[in-house]
Amino acid sequence: MEVAQLTDMMYALRNPAGVPFYPIVFIALGVLTFAMHIFFVQLMLGTGAITAYGAFSNNPYWQRLASAMLEIAKVSVSVAIVIGVAPLLFVQVVYDPQWYTANVLSARWVIGFIVIMIMAYWLMYYYYFRNGKFGQGADKPKARWSIIASLAIFLLAGWIMHSLTSQMLHPELWQQWYMPNGAMDTTGSQLHANNPWRFAFFILIAIPVAGAMMVAYRRFKSVREDADHAYLNWTAELGKKWLKVGSLLVLIPYLGWMVTLPETAENFAGSIWSILPALGFIGLAVWSHLRLNDAKSICNYMVLAMAFIAVLLPSIGREVLRYDILNGFFGYNFFDYKVIIDWYSTLLFFGTFAVVGGAVLGYFLTIAWKVGQSKGVYVPSAAVDRAGTIAIWVISLWMVHFFVLGFWVWMQ
Amino acid sequence: MELISLFPTWYEPAVGSGWVVGFIATFHILASHTSVGAALLFAYLSYRAWKDDRDDYLDFVKKYGLFLLVFTYVAGSLTGVGIWYSTTVASPNGIGALIHSFVWKWATEWVFFVIEVIGIYMIVYLVGKVDKKTHMKISVIFGIASFATMVIIVGILSFMMVPGKEAWFEDGGYLLGFYGDNTFIQLAMRAMFMLTMTAVVGGIIVAGIKDQAFKKEMTRKLGWLGIIATLLGAAMFQLYLNSVPDYALLVMENRLPDYFGPSIAIVLALTIGYFILTMVQPKFLVSGFAGTMAIVILVAGLWPEETARESMRKPWVAGQYVYSNQIIGRDVPGMDIQSQLPLIEKIGILKAHPFTPEHLQTVNDGNKIQAGEFITMTYCANCHSVSDSGIRPLHRYFPDQVNEEVMARYIRGALVPGNIAYMPKMPMLESEVQAIAAYLTKINNDGLAATSLAISEEIANREAKQLADKADLVVSMKPTTEEMQ
Repeated sequence: MEVAQLTDMMYALRNPAGVPFYPIVFIALGVLTFAMHIFFVQLMLGTGAITAYGAFSNNPYWQRLASAMLEIAKVSVSVAIVIGVAPLLFVQVVYDPQWYTANVLSARWVIGFIVIMIMAYWLMYYYYFRNGKFGQGADKPKARWSIIASLAIFLLAGWIMHSLTSQMLHPELWQQWYMPNGAMDTTGSQLHANNPWRFAFFILIAIPVAGAMMVAYRRFKSVREDADHAYLNWTAELGKKWLKVGSLLVLIPYLGWMVTLPETAENFAGSIWSILPALGFIGLAVWSHLRLNDAKSICNYMVLAMAFIAVLLPSIGREVLRYDILNGFFGYNFFDYKVIIDWYSTLLFFGTFAVVGGAVLGYFLTIAWKVGQSKGVYVPSAAVDRAGTIAIWVISLWMVHFFVLGFWVWMQ
Repeated sequence: MELISLFPTWYEPAVGSGWVVGFIATFHILASHTSVGAALLFAYLSYRAWKDDRDDYLDFVKKYGLFLLVFTYVAGSLTGVGIWYSTTVASPNGIGALIHSFVWKWATEWVFFVIEVIGIYMIVYLVGKVDKKTHMKISVIFGIASFATMVIIVGILSFMMVPGKEAWFEDGGYLLGFYGDNTFIQLAMRAMFMLTMTAVVGGIIVAGIKDQAFKKEMTRKLGWLGIIATLLGAAMFQLYLNSVPDYALLVMENRLPDYFGPSIAIVLALTIGYFILTMVQPKFLVSGFAGTMAIVILVAGLWPEETARESMRKPWVAGQYVYSNQIIGRDVPGMDIQSQLPLIEKIGILKAHPFTPEHLQTVNDGNKIQAGEFITMTYCANCHSVSDSGIRPLHRYFPDQVNEEVMARYIRGALVPGNIAYMPKMPMLESEVQAIAAYLTKINNDGLAATSLAISEEIANREAKQLADKADLVVSMKPTTEEMQ
């Protein structure tokens, strides 16, 4: 097919209902939430890898660290899944021609993704329940295979997602994938596109991200009265090593990815958008070397934010790459999507996000933070308690608004 | 080039793509409804624990919460994503219609999801680590946030059956699409069902309580919750049936299997009997029994109910303007959407479909069966299988050894003008009618293997012809001896 035909095809596949707000907003939210999602995926993989290594180690520090990181890995999977819902939503809004086609052509893998994610998640819990808090002088962990299997299956899930997002960017091959050798293939049994360098890059970022978490973990635990500083310092040193070496290591697959970009993206590799992510990781390594020498410094927490910025840069680059291919080569511009503005639902989202999300998550995270740093039963101060009451009011008012407005519309 | 928004087809021959969506959705409903109901129960128990200074209530919340965290939150959140994935591949324009109208509502629900996920960890892990008043506050917020996810999704689910207000077709807009009779009655019905599920699944946790007096107390609490919710839920289901369009009821009466009514009644009686039995004799409450009841309700109660809801909205799959075969069959001026039927009537489905390869765009003797296959996959595969198994196999609708002429007459008379109540209108050019008739007749009379072979022969002949044409071209371009001299 000619490029012009492919462009027509993608425009035809757009949903005729249009979008309720300007596409740039969905793109921006998509990038931000994707960065958050992949950050927690990397955190889960990194802390999961530490858990797996600790399960086979005789070093008591490694075992303790493994036990602590398993807690983070479990929560990270939950958070990664729930945050992942947002970019999955936004990709369907502005990239529906590409995303739906890529998915339908590999439908069995798309369905399989759900099953294998559940398996991987349950295997992680299985390992947790078989061992509880190991590494505290207990015996060797049991069912060590389960944590290894869990990680391996998570990687397979990652490979599927990687493949689907790669397929989005090859409209020139869709027809051939649907009708290989002229015969129709409606099974969706193949994964058609991939770039192992790209996959390796996003996976290996787990090393510096887990390193950042180890440094922050030391800072968080060190204020408790019962803190074991020798163990915590060992953890932070290991974390710093992972941060520095990991940040430089990811540059290898990144370079591999840039070199192997398809012809449709020939201008991207030398652009500022491809250079920034590399600079981000070099910057993270340098910053970690310079700023993490004082165990009490606030930088020990800031390292998580720095690692997130390093993850955000390739997330932005990835979006520009999409634009370069789809618009630059195929002439498909997702900024000209039909817009039918819906002010109420737009404001509802941003209001809920800022007011309800802010009030409730601010309260929740304050409590979680304080409990982590306290020994025994934590009783909040009057101000924190009041924050809880405010959060209840805010969320209750949201519910009242939902029904009052709903009944009013219903009665019209 | 005139094209419409149609994606490739995913055809699952063994069970049918519709059933794959159904399996995932039903499992998700079981998990998510239990989670929401339990969140409200936790808020109540946590409040009582604070008011009456009861540690045992909080222990129960912790145990039930951990059970939910591992089973319903893991499986529930993933199967929730699974509904998106499965509808994406089985019904891309159906889910696209919902996404494009309700993206912000889904994004709003996502805020509550985040609160829910952080909340369940806090509720479980902070028992004994924070004072009871703080735990109560966290539980109340968590309960309301969970219920918020329910109220949001119900409006979107209702839209699948019918937009909230008829005015939506003319005026568009989120509010008119979201709120309507169907929304609130469905919400009430689902709220009752989720409390029933909470009581049943909670039995699994109660079964493990060692303290007999506490076990008896919790059995009674859950029993009353279950009985009241089940009875109210049954009443709400009747009301719900009154809130759907008349034709939906007609479809339900015609299409649903005979066992639908009796199975719902049996499940109702079983559920209430189960609660009464365990309240009278808590010793009968063992985890296996409670677990089995959860499965029974899932298989015999939830599955038929969800199947009914799915069947009743046919031939539409979303908002009464997207057909189940993904074609837009109605104008929606409020959203600036036009029916795709006139264009298909004019140029045919093959030319209108963006994925039709060049060699199938015009039907001829050399591609007739394959063109028929393409049309069948586009128009029919969402609801019908071409094999013996799967969803509503096509061969059941035609007599053995039917001939192409009879088949074509049926297609021309029934399908093309849309004369079957619960099936979409399927415009075709006469050449396309001939093609689909040839394919369906072949499948019906000779089976899948023979049809695949016939298509392979068409492809081989076409390639051979292309090679021959190329060779002719090369020969004709060769200079003659005279020209060379």
